[in-house]
Amino acid sequence: MTSRQVISEFVMEPGTGKAIELLKGQILRIEQVEGGQCADFNCFNLHDYKEFMHCGRTRTVHGFHPTTGTFMWSAPPRERAMLYILEDTVGRNDVLFPRCSAYVYEAAYGFAVHTNCHDIQAEAQREYGLTPDDVHDSFNLFMCTGVDEDGHAFMTRQTTRKGDYVDLLALMDVLAVPNVCGADVMKTSNFALKPLKLTVFAATDADLASVPRTPTLASQRTPKDFKNPAIKSDRPLRRDPAYKPEFPNTPIVVTELPIALTPEELAMFKAVKRTDIYGDDDAAALRDLLFSWWEERFLQAHAGAPSIESK
Amino acid sequence: MTDTIVKLRLNQQQLELMDRTIAQGVAADRIALVRLALREYAAAHKGDAAKGGAR
Ligand SMILES: [Zn+2]
Repeated sequence: MTSRQVISEFVMEPGTGKAIELLKGQILRIEQVEGGQCADFNCFNLHDYKEFMHCGRTRTVHGFHPTTGTFMWSAPPRERAMLYILEDTVGRNDVLFPRCSAYVYEAAYGFAVHTNCHDIQAEAQREYGLTPDDVHDSFNLFMCTGVDEDGHAFMTRQTTRKGDYVDLLALMDVLAVPNVCGADVMKTSNFALKPLKLTVFAATDADLASVPRTPTLASQRTPKDFKNPAIKSDRPLRRDPAYKPEFPNTPIVVTELPIALTPEELAMFKAVKRTDIYGDDDAAALRDLLFSWWEERFLQAHAGAPSIESK
Repeated sequence: MTDTIVKLRLNQQQLELMDRTIAQGVAADRIALVRLALREYAAAHKGDAAKGGAR
């Protein structure tokens, strides 16, 4: 196996973050220096910052703790795989929690100023002309979280050690922005702020060959497909008097399809129909049955989640 | 014993999905597709009610 060529190395000190140009085919390693440190992470298309990583899609496709073998996706309508998690020596990351922010530390702890992921991200992103409003929902590396029985997300201590790392392979040119999470009064990073090491490698052919193929679909749209491709450049919102709505597939038109159920079919239907949801509306219950059957028989992904299998 | 008529209400997108499924050779037409769905779904879920409701 050929070894990876190191392109650059950097140590992020506590309280800081770093914007890194990570080109397609390069790997960013985010590594524990002492252990026990959470890293928040943002990611933008290097050539179009309006395409950025979307934790919502990532968590829907890969669950709440994405690890080795999963992707970081960009938001609709782009919906492209931006980064691939090539290796993860811990296997505990989070896409439930938002970045910590100054508000949290002021409201809950009384700090006038405190290290926080939002402001650290904003300061790191400023090197590339981005503003505090451009910081997006963060992918939280090494953060140990879960969901309570009452539906609340919780965080707890992490078990990472010196030398643990996550390797992110760029599938497009990106601005990758990790930061040392600023939380020292929470369990996130075991109540201490520690440095994190960043290394950029050139991926080997074996690295590149290990990435599963993802679909290329007409629905993955870019500004060339937009009705308004220009980025809005002022702050107030004003109505466009020339606006005419053009919602796709509208109007939605409902057609009646009468089905004659034999007594035998009616008995089958009665045995499984969802009266708990639809009461005596058999038409709605049969429609539910039809598409529930379709999901079970034909759907590749979890219901509501995009399929990432390439045909 | 007579048949019972159930009037499904389907929009054009739902009909499109049905028609694309039919085009794969799964069923001869829309009515046949619904009958197939009913048979297969009922067979797969007939024990659900006893277990506290189908999902
Ligand atoms: Zn944080």
